[in-house]
Amino acid sequence: MASTTVESGAAGHGAEPRGKRSEDGQATYLIAIAEALWEEMERDERVIMLGEDIGVYGGAFKVTEGFLERFGPDRVMDTPIAEETIVGFSVGAAMEGWRPVAEFQYSDFMTSGFDEITTVLSRYHYRSGVQTPVTLRAPSGGGVRASNFHSVNPEPWFAYAGGIKIMCPAFPSDAKGLLKSAIRDDNPTLFLEHKALYRRIKEHVSEDPEALIPISSAAVKRPGDDVTIVTYGAMVHKALEAADTLAGRGVSVEVVDLRTVYPIDEETVIRSIEKTSRALVLYESFHFLGIGAEVASVIAEKAFEHLDAPVMRLAPPNHPVPFSPPLEDAFLPQVADIEAAVDRLSAW
Amino acid sequence: MTSIQMPQLGETIVEGTILKWLKNEGDQVKADEPLFEISTDKVDTEVPSPVAGTVTKLLVAEGTTVPVGTAVMEIDDGSGTAGNGSSAPAATETPTAAPAPTPAQPPAQAPAQAPARQAIATPAPAMPDRGPRSNILSPIVRKLARESGIDLATVAGTGEGGRITKADVLAATSGATAQPPTSAATVTPLPSVGPAAAAVMVAPPSMPAGQGEESEPMSHIRKAIATHMLASTQQTARAWTMVEVNVDRLVRLREDTKEKFQANYGVKLTYLPMVARATIDALQQFPLVNSRIDGENIVTPRFVNMGIAVSYDAGLIVPVVKGADGMNTIGIARAIADLAARARSHQLQPDEVQGATFTITNPGPYGSLLSVPIINQPNAGILSLDAIQKRPVVVEDDAIAVRSMVYISMSWDHRLIDGELATRFLARVKHNLETWDFAEDLGL
Amino acid sequence: MTERRPAWLLTPPGLIDYDVANEAMHALARRRLADEIPDTVIALQHPPVFTAGRRATEDELLWDEATVTARGGAVRRIDRGGSFTFHGPGQLVVYPILGLGATPDAAAHLRRLEEVAIRTCADLGATVDRRADVQTGVWAGDEKVCAIGVRLLRTRVTLHGMALNCDTDLSWFDGIVACGLPDHGVTSLTRLLGRDVPVDEVAPLAIRHAAEVFGLGFADAPEEIERPFRAAAVA
Repeated sequence: MASTTVESGAAGHGAEPRGKRSEDGQATYLIAIAEALWEEMERDERVIMLGEDIGVYGGAFKVTEGFLERFGPDRVMDTPIAEETIVGFSVGAAMEGWRPVAEFQYSDFMTSGFDEITTVLSRYHYRSGVQTPVTLRAPSGGGVRASNFHSVNPEPWFAYAGGIKIMCPAFPSDAKGLLKSAIRDDNPTLFLEHKALYRRIKEHVSEDPEALIPISSAAVKRPGDDVTIVTYGAMVHKALEAADTLAGRGVSVEVVDLRTVYPIDEETVIRSIEKTSRALVLYESFHFLGIGAEVASVIAEKAFEHLDAPVMRLAPPNHPVPFSPPLEDAFLPQVADIEAAVDRLSAW
Repeated sequence: MTSIQMPQLGETIVEGTILKWLKNEGDQVKADEPLFEISTDKVDTEVPSPVAGTVTKLLVAEGTTVPVGTAVMEIDDGSGTAGNGSSAPAATETPTAAPAPTPAQPPAQAPAQAPARQAIATPAPAMPDRGPRSNILSPIVRKLARESGIDLATVAGTGEGGRITKADVLAATSGATAQPPTSAATVTPLPSVGPAAAAVMVAPPSMPAGQGEESEPMSHIRKAIATHMLASTQQTARAWTMVEVNVDRLVRLREDTKEKFQANYGVKLTYLPMVARATIDALQQFPLVNSRIDGENIVTPRFVNMGIAVSYDAGLIVPVVKGADGMNTIGIARAIADLAARARSHQLQPDEVQGATFTITNPGPYGSLLSVPIINQPNAGILSLDAIQKRPVVVEDDAIAVRSMVYISMSWDHRLIDGELATRFLARVKHNLETWDFAEDLGL
Repeated sequence: MTERRPAWLLTPPGLIDYDVANEAMHALARRRLADEIPDTVIALQHPPVFTAGRRATEDELLWDEATVTARGGAVRRIDRGGSFTFHGPGQLVVYPILGLGATPDAAAHLRRLEEVAIRTCADLGATVDRRADVQTGVWAGDEKVCAIGVRLLRTRVTLHGMALNCDTDLSWFDGIVACGLPDHGVTSLTRLLGRDVPVDEVAPLAIRHAAEVFGLGFADAPEEIERPFRAAAVA
C-alpha cells in the first residue's frame, strides 16, 4: 500500500502518543488511552486494531493517529460501517489466536452489532471452551450536545450479557492502566471512554508499560466520613465538585469510583458504607436498570446493618438524551442536583 | 396498646387544643379514621388513627391544650400487653372469704415475663415518643445499640423528626452527654447527674388499670424522681450506719429560745439547722464524705453545698444551701426556710437544685424513727434526721433516766467510703450535737 | 434536574359561589388524600361572603345578618382556623390542595403561602412583608393585604389558603373585626399602588410564584375537575 500522509488532526501532534503529553508531562484522558494502545501493540504482536476510520483518518477523535504508520495496515485496519462484521471478525480472529481491539466510532453504534456481542462474543467461551480475548472500545456518554444518537451509556445492555467485563474509567491513569489490563485479559472486555473527558481531564500518568490497574477494582477518589457517593465515568468529576462545596458546609463526602462497572468491586463499596452509613449512587446510565440500580441493591443487601438511611440513587430518566442544551442539562445530574441529593440523604 | 399523641404539625407548633373527640371510649376505629379535632395556633385539623382497634381511653378533656407529644388517647389494637394479671380479678372473684389477693399476681408474673421478653431479639424496644420519627431505628443504630448495650430510650435523637441517628448513638456510647430532652419544666427537680449516672428508667412491666382502678400518666417530676432513685440504687454500693444521739440539751435550748429566735430572725427554729451545722463540721473533718466519683477519680470540694430534701405537692425536691460551710446556724436556718418555702411554691431556680455535695433528709417531723434513705447522686452519703423521742436511757452511774433521743443515720456509698470512716463521721456528728453550745451560735 | 411535582391548575372565571367551591375543594382534598389526583391549585374569586374560622366569635361580626344580606353578601362558618375574613370581587383567592407528606409541616406551608403573596406584590412594586409579631398573613405596615387561613385534612392535605386584595371594595371589611384584630386594618394592592390593580393582572403572577414556591409543574386540570367550579359561577 502507498504510504499516506497523516494530517494533524484535533489532537494536533506527532506520531507517538507519549510525545503528545503536555509540557509538564501530563497526559489527557485521550492521550493516556492512545499510550495504552501503543504500548500494548508494541508489547504483543498478536494485538491488532480495527474500526471505522481508525487507520488513515486516525480515528474520529484522533485517538489512533499515527498508529497506521507505526504498525502497518495488517495490524491497524479500517473497516466498513458494519458493526456486526467488526465484532464477528474480532471473534473469528480471536479464535485464531489474535488479540483484537475493536473500536466503535460511537458507543451508540454498538447495538448494530448487538447480536454478535451478546449472543456470540459473550458466550463463545462457554459454548466452545475457546477463549476470545477481544477488547471492544467506544466513546460513550453525553453532556457534549451530541444528542441521542451519539451520547448513549450502553454498559447496562452489555453487563446483562454476563460474559463481558466492562470498564468506565474517569481519570487518565485509570484509563491507561485499565485498558492495558483489558487487552491482556483473555476474556471479552468492553472499554468505554467517556467522550466528555477526552480532552478535559489531564494528569500525570505512568510511563511504565507494565503499570496496570486491576479490572474490578474500585478506588476511593476522595475520603470522607458522612456520606458515600458511589459513581463512575464523567459523574465522578461532578461528584468531586459537589463534595468540595459540601465540605464547605461541613458535610464530609467520600467518593468511590467504581472504575469497572461489571463485575463491580463490592468490597470497596461496602467498606465505604461501613464508614459513612449513607449511600448515594450516582450514575449516568439510566435510572431504571442502569448500573447504579445494581450497586444500590448490593449495598442494601450486603451492607444493610451499616445503613443509617435508605440507599438513594441519582441518575437520568430512561429517556433519549436531549439535543437542546438546557434540556440536556436538565436531563443529566448536575453538581447542584448532587448536592441536593446529599443534603436529602444527610437529613434523613 | 397504641398511645395516640398530640401530633407535631411543624417545628414551631408546640401545643394543640383538643376541640372535639370524634370517637369515644369503646368505639371501634379503622386505620386512618379521624379520632379528634385539634386546633393549633397555625392550623386546625382532624387527627387520623394510625391503627385499627378500639378506643380504650380518652386522657384529656375537650378544650384542653397540651404540648405536642402528650398522650391524649389510648387504642387497643390487639398488640397485647402484660395486662393478664390485673384484668383477672374481675373474672375470678369468688364469694369465699379471704381469696388469694389477686393484686399479688401481676408482680409475680412480671419477673417471669421479663426474661422471656429479653429472649425476643427482633421487635423494636418501646421508645419514648420524642417526635414523629423517634421510633425509626435504622439498621446501624440497632447494631450499635446491640453491641454497646446502650438503651436507646436514653438517647436523644437529633435527626429529622427526632430520629436517633448513628451519630447520636456513637456520641452516647462514647460518654458524651446525650440526655433525653425534658419537657418545658421550669425546674429540674433533682440535681443533674453525670453521664455515667444518666440512666434509665427501665420500663417496668405493663400493668394497666383494671376494674376499680384509675390510671393517670406519671408527671414529669415523678418520672425524674423514679429515674434518679433507680439509678442511685443501681449505681451506688449503698451501706447504712446509725447512731443514737442524746439531744436533750438541744430540745431544752429550742424550747427556751424558739420564740425569741422567731422574733429576731423571722424564721422558725427547728432541729434541722443545728444538725446541719453539726454535720458540716463533720464533713470538714472527714472530707471524703463530701466527695464524689468522677470516672476513676475522686473529686473533693473544699466547700459544702448542703442539699436539704423537701417534700412538696409534686413529690420530692432537694434544694441546695450553697456554701453552707460559711454559714452559722442562723444563716443555715434562714436559707433552709427560704428554699423550702420557694420549693413548695414552685419558685426555685434550676441552679438552686444542683451542686449538692452532701444531703440531709428529715422525715422526723412526720414520725419515722429510723429511715434508710437513697443516696442523692453524685453524693457519697445522705444523712437522715428522724423523730426525736423521749426514751428511757442509761445515764451516768448506770441510772435510768428519760432523755430526748434521736436516731441519726446515714446511707453511704461503699465505693468511696468504708465502714470505719462512715462510723467515725457519724460519731463526730453525734459528738457535736451532744457537746456544742448552740446558744452562742444562735446569737441568743 | 430541578424537581417539579406535576400539579393541576384550575382558574374558573367569574365569581364562584362559596358553598359550591368549598364543597368541591373538600372533595378534591379527599381525592388528593387517596392519591387519586395530583396536587391541585385553584385560583378564583367569590361573590361577597364573610367566613368565620374556628376562633371567630359572634361579636366579631359587626353588621347584623340583615345588613349583610341587603348588601348582597352572606355569612359562613367554616372549618379553617382563624377568625372572620371577607372574600369578594376584586380579591384573588388561591386554594392550594397539596399533600404534605409523612411529616407534615403546617407552619412551613403557611410561610410558603406568605412567600407567594410577597413575591407577587413585589412584582407589582408593592413592598409587603410577614409580621410574625402580629399574625400569619402579608402586611403593609399595620394593614393586611393578604389573609391566610389553612386547615389540614387528616393532617396530610391542605385546605383553604390565601386571599389577596387586588381591587377589592375594602368597605366590606367594616362589617367584621378582620382576622380578629381590632387594631389592625386591611388594604389592597390598588390602595398601595395608587392605581387600579385588577385580579386579572395579579393572578398570572401569583400562579407562577405558587409554582416556584411549592415546586409544582402546572397542567390545566381536566374538564371534569373544573366543571363544578365553572357551574357555580354567579357572575
